[in-house]
Amino acid sequence: MRRAALCTLVFALLLPAQSVTYERLVHALGEQQNWLTYWGDYSAVRHRDLKQINAANVKNLRIDWIYQTGQAGSFEAMPLVVDGVMYVTGGNGYAYALDARSGRQLWLYKHAFPPGRKAGGVNRGFAILGDRLFMVTPDANVVALDARTGRLLWQTEMAEYNKGQYTATLAPIAIKDKIIVGISGAEFGIRGFIDAYDAATGKRVWRFWTVPAKGEPGGDTWLGDSWTRGGGSTWMTGTYDAQLNTLYWGVGNPGPDLHGDSRKGDNLYTCSLVALDPDTGKLKWHFQYSPHDTHDWDAAETPVLLDLKWKGRDRKLVVQANRNAFFYVLDRETGEFLLGKPFARQNWATELDAKGRPILMKNQEPSPEGSRVCPGLAGAANWMAPSYNPETKLFYFAVREQCDVYYTNPPVYIQGRPFWGSVSRGVTDEPEWGMLKALDPLTGETRWDFRYFHAPWAGTLSTAGGLIFAGDQDGYLMAFDASSGKNLWRLNTGNPIVNSPMTYMVGGRQYVTMPSGSAVITFALPE
Amino acid sequence: MRIGGIVLLLLCSSVARSQTDLDLADGKATFRSNCAFCHGLTGGGGRGPALASGRFLHGSTDDDIKTVIRGGVPGTTMPSFEFEKDELDHLVAYVKSLSGSGSGTHASSVSGDAGRGRQIYERSGCAGCHRIGTEGSVYGPELTRIGAGRSPEYIRESIVNPSADIPEEFTGVTVILRDGKRIKGVRINEDTFTVQLRDASQNFRMFQKDDVQQVMHETKSLMPAYGSLSQEDLQNLLAYLESLQGDLNAGAGVKKEKGIR
Repeated sequence: MRRAALCTLVFALLLPAQSVTYERLVHALGEQQNWLTYWGDYSAVRHRDLKQINAANVKNLRIDWIYQTGQAGSFEAMPLVVDGVMYVTGGNGYAYALDARSGRQLWLYKHAFPPGRKAGGVNRGFAILGDRLFMVTPDANVVALDARTGRLLWQTEMAEYNKGQYTATLAPIAIKDKIIVGISGAEFGIRGFIDAYDAATGKRVWRFWTVPAKGEPGGDTWLGDSWTRGGGSTWMTGTYDAQLNTLYWGVGNPGPDLHGDSRKGDNLYTCSLVALDPDTGKLKWHFQYSPHDTHDWDAAETPVLLDLKWKGRDRKLVVQANRNAFFYVLDRETGEFLLGKPFARQNWATELDAKGRPILMKNQEPSPEGSRVCPGLAGAANWMAPSYNPETKLFYFAVREQCDVYYTNPPVYIQGRPFWGSVSRGVTDEPEWGMLKALDPLTGETRWDFRYFHAPWAGTLSTAGGLIFAGDQDGYLMAFDASSGKNLWRLNTGNPIVNSPMTYMVGGRQYVTMPSGSAVITFALPE
Repeated sequence: MRIGGIVLLLLCSSVARSQTDLDLADGKATFRSNCAFCHGLTGGGGRGPALASGRFLHGSTDDDIKTVIRGGVPGTTMPSFEFEKDELDHLVAYVKSLSGSGSGTHASSVSGDAGRGRQIYERSGCAGCHRIGTEGSVYGPELTRIGAGRSPEYIRESIVNPSADIPEEFTGVTVILRDGKRIKGVRINEDTFTVQLRDASQNFRMFQKDDVQQVMHETKSLMPAYGSLSQEDLQNLLAYLESLQGDLNAGAGVKKEKGIR
């Protein structure tokens, strides 16, 4: 008996660490114990077929371990878990490898910022491919690390720093041999793009400009040379359909955010979903949710890929609860608009036309005197992740109910400075609130909702245990019955949750992790 | 040559003037979208003090005003703002232009007898909810510097119709317990699952929402309306409140003692 155990141990030591191949990423949902991409897989359903923690026993869930990063600022990173190792990025250029069972640190990486650069800022996580991890940095670099040691392998600047107008926050996505990333900075007068880098060398393979130049298709949707500072950040990770070989990416707001007169036109491809060929970066189709946006309604919310029976026919869909307060269903092969329905208060569009274009109400434009518009600048939904449960067939997401007064004023472009075209302000005396909403994606109808006291910045996780995990702005991590919406468990983490929960298994035990404050907090049932 | 010089001079002054106008317009836009809600569109005051009076409690030099804008006023609802240097310059220039002159003197806009007003304050039991300096209750808003922080019109309305504008931090909440008992107080904090109040006896009252029947948010102010005060009494009371400028002799000072060295 002892000898057998020893043999197993020696054998395990001799085996090389399993490499995360592209094949493994394509079939990530087949590895329920792991969490291999930012979204958990390529489709972003964020549902796990794990039921050790379930509706009957979740009341016993308790903190199992806490890892304190010591980094101030919003903790927005989604950990990856690969065969018992957790890889997580923190703020300010830090990243960590942890024992996913104990929270003990395996290595720490600290990005070296050249003098004079902004060294602060959030980060949303890693991509993994082979034995390499990939992350972006607040000074707009892509870095590749050795997953075994945290050693820097290559570093590539995405764009010239230009006094900090370019920055990067998202988790990259690894497809085949490429690392695909987006950029932030539409508030600083950038021209946005999506980039692909060779995972082996860090060399850029292609770039898709989210704002077309004059003369290019879509270039005529920009007044004069406004496209040169047209914004169109790509600050959230895209989703990917390996069968269709198509990458789906939400594009952010046009710039200047709140001053539309200086950029008359639809301002493609801002506030749009773009479908790209990941091998070449070529555009397959696009759908613009908010043409000529003047409310900062980025389309950065998760484009979730669902295969559902749509009006009697199996269809490949992409659904999004958009910041503009409408829930959209598109055909992801063609971009055809199938459904658009408000899920929160809105007073800017009377309806969407047959092609999904909003028909605008009066007085919804920002004005020098201020215009009250719902939703507010932060939107009725935002980047926090939704989830889809294939058993209940419901889409679970966080809703923000909040309106703003929008002002406008012609902006002056100065490099490195905000290029907003004025400001927005919360409507005083109008309380904000939020909801966890369970919605039927085939109809856009709400099945149930649970009201939060404040508008949340935390997303959801669905499990086969009949549970939806969610967080709120007052610091609660909560578990809900997926069918009824009943709150079954909660714990106050002591800090607004600005992230989404995830789950994994190690050694036959299921864990739920929720970064909050500056800590990675991991929960489990008592052993 | 001389004529040319004069033309050039005129040109320059015209350019300079238009630049000033541009700067003021920029300052006005910044003011309108950031400051006007509390200080009024033309600086007449409201939730925040009047700025058109030329009187600045924290100093009237450009640097004084900038310090207030950048740092806010601790203990008040004045938040801190981040502006670029030129934006701040333009904003301060605009704020000063509201009063027509850069320097201000204190001239109370309220006619009335502050001494008598104080008697009305005491007689009406205001200290049962409000405090001035260290005297009175912490249940309602502190009035130590109310005359500096609010316009007279705002204070008058707060007395005769307190529900017209309820500061968020003084929202009234009534909790109905399972046995039907009602507990009313000022909301100190609230989240999805809990609520914390301060009752009129200045005690904290804390509840899990699961444990109570109902949590009701009052739409009216917890303060009773004092519309029955005579015009003269109201004017005297206003004069008294207007005189409360946060002066040290009114007990507003925080005692600070040096530690052992």
